[in-house]
Formats: sequence, C-alpha cells, structure tokens
Amino acid sequence: MAIITLLSLIGTFIPQNESPAFYIEKIGHMGYSVLSKMGLSSLYSSWWFILFLILLSLNLTVCLLNRLPLKVRSLGTFIAHLSILVILFGAFIGIVYGEKGLIKIGKAEEISSFMSKGRPVDLGFSIRLDDFIYNEHIDPKEKLLVQPAAGKEDEVIAEIPTEVGTELNITDTGYKIKILRYLNDFAMDTATKVALNRSAAPNNPAIEAELKDKDGKTAKFWIFARFPDMHQKTDPNFKFIYRWVGRRPKDFISKVAILRGTREITRKNIRVNEPLSFGGYKFFQSTYDTETLGWSGLQVVSDPGVPVVYAGFLLLIAGVIIIFYVNPVIKRR
Amino acid sequence: MPSLLLNIGFGFYFLSVILYAAGLFFAKKILTVLARFSTICGILGITFYLGIRWHLAARPPFSNMFESLVVLGWAVAIVSVFIEIKYEIRSIAVGASLISLLAIGYASLLDKEIAPLMPALRSNWLTIHVLTCFIGYAALTVAFISSALLLFKKKEDEGLDIISYKMITFGFLFLTLGIITGSVWANSAWGTYWSWDPKETWSLITWFIYAIYLHVRFTKKWKGKMAARISVLGFLAMIFTYFGVNYLLKGLHSYGG
Repeated sequence: MAIITLLSLIGTFIPQNESPAFYIEKIGHMGYSVLSKMGLSSLYSSWWFILFLILLSLNLTVCLLNRLPLKVRSLGTFIAHLSILVILFGAFIGIVYGEKGLIKIGKAEEISSFMSKGRPVDLGFSIRLDDFIYNEHIDPKEKLLVQPAAGKEDEVIAEIPTEVGTELNITDTGYKIKILRYLNDFAMDTATKVALNRSAAPNNPAIEAELKDKDGKTAKFWIFARFPDMHQKTDPNFKFIYRWVGRRPKDFISKVAILRGTREITRKNIRVNEPLSFGGYKFFQSTYDTETLGWSGLQVVSDPGVPVVYAGFLLLIAGVIIIFYVNPVIKRR
Repeated sequence: MPSLLLNIGFGFYFLSVILYAAGLFFAKKILTVLARFSTICGILGITFYLGIRWHLAARPPFSNMFESLVVLGWAVAIVSVFIEIKYEIRSIAVGASLISLLAIGYASLLDKEIAPLMPALRSNWLTIHVLTCFIGYAALTVAFISSALLLFKKKEDEGLDIISYKMITFGFLFLTLGIITGSVWANSAWGTYWSWDPKETWSLITWFIYAIYLHVRFTKKWKGKMAARISVLGFLAMIFTYFGVNYLLKGLHSYGG
C-alpha cells in the first residue's frame, strides 16, 4: 500500500511539474508578447492542465484517506497535503462562483453592471468616477532651460522646474513663465488641433508653457525634449530647451462614489494596493486612459473562494512547520 | 558614505573567502576564527548600508535588481556564518562567502540610484514578501553549495548531506511563505491571488522540485548524491526564477530587472 501511495504521489508530481514548464516554453516562443497581468493564459485553463489538477486532487485525496486513522506522527504531513486540496478547492469555488471583469469608467460616468464570463453582472449598486488623478515623480534634474536667443550655445539664463503649475520670473528680464501641461508622448489630433498623449510611453515628452512679457502679453507654446529645435516661434529674446530626464508613475487615484439609486452612500479613493470593497465586490485600480486621462480602468472582482484559499495557505504553513520543526522535537523525547 | 559601507562589506567578504579557503589548507583554528570575524564585519557593513539606504529613500530597499542582490549577499552570509559556526564545515563557508561576494560585486556594477517606488510596490507586503523570499533563497543557496560539494566528492559525506537537508527544510518553509505572501499581496493589489505570471510559475516549479526532494527523501529514503542532484536542480530553477525571469520573460515582476 505504502509503495502504491508513494509511487502515485511521485507520479502526480511529475506531470504537475512539467505542465508549467511546458507553458514557460510557450512563453519563450511568444517572447515579450505575454504582457497582460490579468490574462489567464489559455494554456492554464486548457483541458489537459485542468485534468492534471484534478488528477493531483484525486491522488492527494487517496493519499489522505490512506493515512487514516491519523497518527500524531503523521499529523503534519496530513495537514500539509490537505492544505493543497483546500487551496485547489478554493480556486475551484472561485472559478465557479467568482465574478471578474474590467470596467472602463469615464469621468462623471455611473456604472452599475460589468461583464464577467461573457455575460453582464448586476452590481446591485452603482459606482461613479468623480475624478481620476495620475501623478508622476519628476526627477530633480529635469528642468526647462531658458537661453538667450543670440548667445553662446551653453549659456543658460534660468532653470525652471517642470512641475505643472510652476510660475516663475525669468530672472530680472521682466518675463514670467508658467508650466501648463506635460505629455509623455505628444501627438496632435489633426482634426481638432488638440494636443494629446498618444501612449503612456515617453516617446515624445513635451511640456506646454506660457510666456508673459513685461506688458502682460501672453504666448503659449510647446517644447519638445527630443526635438529641441522644433518649438514654435515664441519670443525673439529666448530659446527654450527641455531637459527631460525620465519620469516614473507616482500615483493612480480614482476618486469614486458609491450610490444606491440617487443616494450617495460612500466616497473613496481607489489606488493601487488600496482597493475599494463594497457589497461583496472589490474594485482595483487596474489601468487608465493614457491619452487624455478621461477614464479609469477598474478591475471588479468577487471571489468567494479567497477565504478558502487563505485557509489552505495557513494549513500549509502549519503543516510544514509541524513536519520540520515540531515532529523532530517530539521524536527526540 | 553609503557606498563606502557597501565597499567595506565587499572587502570583508573578500577577506572571508581567502581566510576560509586558507583555513581549508592549513588547519589552523585562528584562520577560521578570523574568517568568521571578517564575515560578521561584512554583514554589519551591509546591514548599515541597507539601513541607511532605507532611511534615505524613506522606503524599504528591496525594489530592484541592485537592492535585491545586496539583500541576497547579506542573507547568504548570515546563513552561512551561522551554519559554519554550528557545524564547522569550512568548505561550505568558502562557497557561501564566494556567492555573497559575487552578489555584492555584481550589484555594485548596477545602477545604485535610489529611484522612487512605483505604485504597485508601495505596500507593507513588500518587506514581508522580499524578506521571506530571500531568507529562503539564502538557505537554499547554502543547501546547493553543500549538495554540489557532495557531488564533487568521491565518497558519500553524511555531514554535507544533513546540512543540505536541513537547509532545504528551512528554505522550503520560507519559499512557501514567500509564495504565499506574494499571493496574498497580489490579491490585495490586483484582485487575483495567482495569475500564472512567469515569476509565479517559476517559483512554483522551484517549489515543486524541492517538494520532490523532500518526498523522495521521506518516502524512498533517497540520501546523499541521489538527493543532492535534486537539490542542485532546485537551485538552478531558483536562480532562473530570480534572474532568468527578469531578463528573459516579461510579467508582473519585470520591474526587478
């Protein structure tokens, strides 16, 4: 009996072990194309992979039954193997009863259902996006350099920080400059002549500035980090250089309100690592509109299997500790 | 100032390798004692370095390849000096201090700039997850050295075998904790506790290999060289989880590169 148990136990480990490895090979072939963090790749939900998981579960069950009646000595191993079954069972509950979907919610838009498993699911309440805020860390070395129009190449009159909203005098020239906007990947909508972000990648970083002269006359213009000579004609006195260093995302914040009918129940800021829980659903900051920051992408999840999986985690930790650190102590006595 | 501490750590680790190696050839107790002292000085240097970096950055210093290598060099040295004092097997200490040295040396070639933490990493789970993983990595690294030495020897060596086994049980526990904390964190950040991201998958493969090691040891009574081969295989999978995934595959952990 022991031999059969052991052989089958080892037997299940081998296919189990190879199936993820098999998948890794596939990832290698597709190279960098596998990006999506929430994409459950088809291979992991393929019939043969599931089959291995079911075989593993069956095998574990048999092993557990074989260990009955339980001896104190084998309590640790029993718990550890049981925990794997509990985790798989929790995952199964999640697959069957859980709902998961992505909502793209525009500013001031109200949403009360989402798509999960190819069908709409009603939330039972609605969620409204009041604002979406995206902040970046600006490297202290990033500056807008002001040079005299007819000076030496490296002569700099002023270094202006590029945070949006900064307003500074250009030394004592009587001119004032204000930073209006920043775009990672500047593009111009040819129809509307509106500047927008083509992507989240810093392909063409640009800032829009406003120059105010002594008489209060203003001029707005864009300055491009990668094309220093391309900025629009501004003022005959100055040249501007945008010294861009590289920005990093700092915060993605969706300011949302939860409503039942027209009554507002709560307001909350959803950030990465700080989801909103309400009515059995959790809302996670997942993606956003990289062009105009007009919408926020929230992952909506309801997974009743999670407590079971977590219970399995605790059992697994307890089991491993008992096997390696409690049993030897008992044995020594 | 902080870089100096890193260099001091590197210097002491270098000294440890030489002293431990010398101790192998000339069986003088004093060499080993000096080597221990030097390793502990190195660990202290790196500890202060990490502490100061933590303070300067106002966040845990566990966010990129450079920082994680320093942590690895720190953790491996701690485990190795502990094992060396307890079991007095100098050959393991030579290997382990060499790996610590290489980790710190490789780290110092990378960009040391303190970058702000990206939003996904801003969580208390970062410290718990990284520390459990790296304690596990450190123990499994020492297990690997011990197993590899065993494979090089002509005869079986029970001492090395037992150290491999003990380090694997300890490392396996922390690898388990590392995967679980990562999973719980993923669930609180993204709403999915497991998404078959390459790093997750490879950590699971590594976990399976060590689980097989433990199973064959318990049930088929595999010991010595037979078991050591699995330990080496597990270590290779672990290294791939740590480096390979960052450089070759893209996923949730790709900031690590």
